[in-house]
Amino acid sequence: MSQIYIEDVDLGDDVGPLVKEPTRNQLNAFTKVWGTSVGRFTSDEVAKSEGFTGVILPGNMSMAFLGQLLTEWCGYEGKLRRLDVDFRRSVQPGDKLNCTGIITDIEVVEQENQVTLDVFIETQKGERALQGTAMVVLPSKS
Amino acid sequence: MASAQCTQASAIIVSKGGFMTTDQDVMDNLDYDSSVVGVEVDVGTHKVEQEDIIAYAKALGETSPLYLDEAAAKVGPHGAIIAPPLFYNLFHLEPGLDPKVNFGTTGFDAGQHAEFFEPIRAGDTISAKTQVSSVYAKTGRTGTMVFTVRRTTFTNQRGEKAIVMERRNVRRDIKK
Repeated sequence: MSQIYIEDVDLGDDVGPLVKEPTRNQLNAFTKVWGTSVGRFTSDEVAKSEGFTGVILPGNMSMAFLGQLLTEWCGYEGKLRRLDVDFRRSVQPGDKLNCTGIITDIEVVEQENQVTLDVFIETQKGERALQGTAMVVLPSKS
Repeated sequence: MASAQCTQASAIIVSKGGFMTTDQDVMDNLDYDSSVVGVEVDVGTHKVEQEDIIAYAKALGETSPLYLDEAAAKVGPHGAIIAPPLFYNLFHLEPGLDPKVNFGTTGFDAGQHAEFFEPIRAGDTISAKTQVSSVYAKTGRTGTMVFTVRRTTFTNQRGEKAIVMERRNVRRDIKK
């Protein structure tokens, strides 16, 4: 994995996209390891009774895709320090998700290279399912 | 007139009777137990199993050997498989104190804030403390919502703070 450094980034730079297309099997594997029995994540019938067209992904599963976007981007020497998201719309298996970020601030605080980003997940319909902010620490080349 | 003022201040809504209602009024009249706000309690521990990290990482489509490859992870920077950052969401913990917010007809997770200090490693025992950090009202284009924010601090068996997380739950009337 190639490492990105603070010298490589600039305000307004895009991060990603990481494209995720979660399947029903992945959702089932996720709810199984979680051990959740919440109906809207596990049963189409329950999800429909709550007004959805079928099972939806837990918010923390979609949020984890943004975690993946940022940890893959910052590399082994970088650190994801903060992630804050709003869950705006539900996500379903079969959706095509564009997970992206844009750099909004770069500053050095106590010798740490802190990069702040707006992050969001857009569905194939162009709707924002999640949006928020993140802060990542990047290494220096020198 | 009232409607013109409302376009100036989104936090002000007009009730059916025509009286001005602010988010502060909503909070002043809200039926909830404010005595639990800010009171931190232990909500249990979670033993982190390597097989759960691997199953979680695979379900997400993660590919990093840090999460998936025991041999590579052991000689890597952390000395063991670590969990993807949001893994703590899987922990089964006690709910903590309940502010018993009596508002609206439905509730759901509105968002989450997380700060990461130390990675969670396979084999860790993570203890958690939770508090209701705030309850507040907010009025938007879809009406008034009441948010309950719960802050949980996760600490590993070495006494290191690993993660501080705030989960925002919202209660509101179901959409007509």
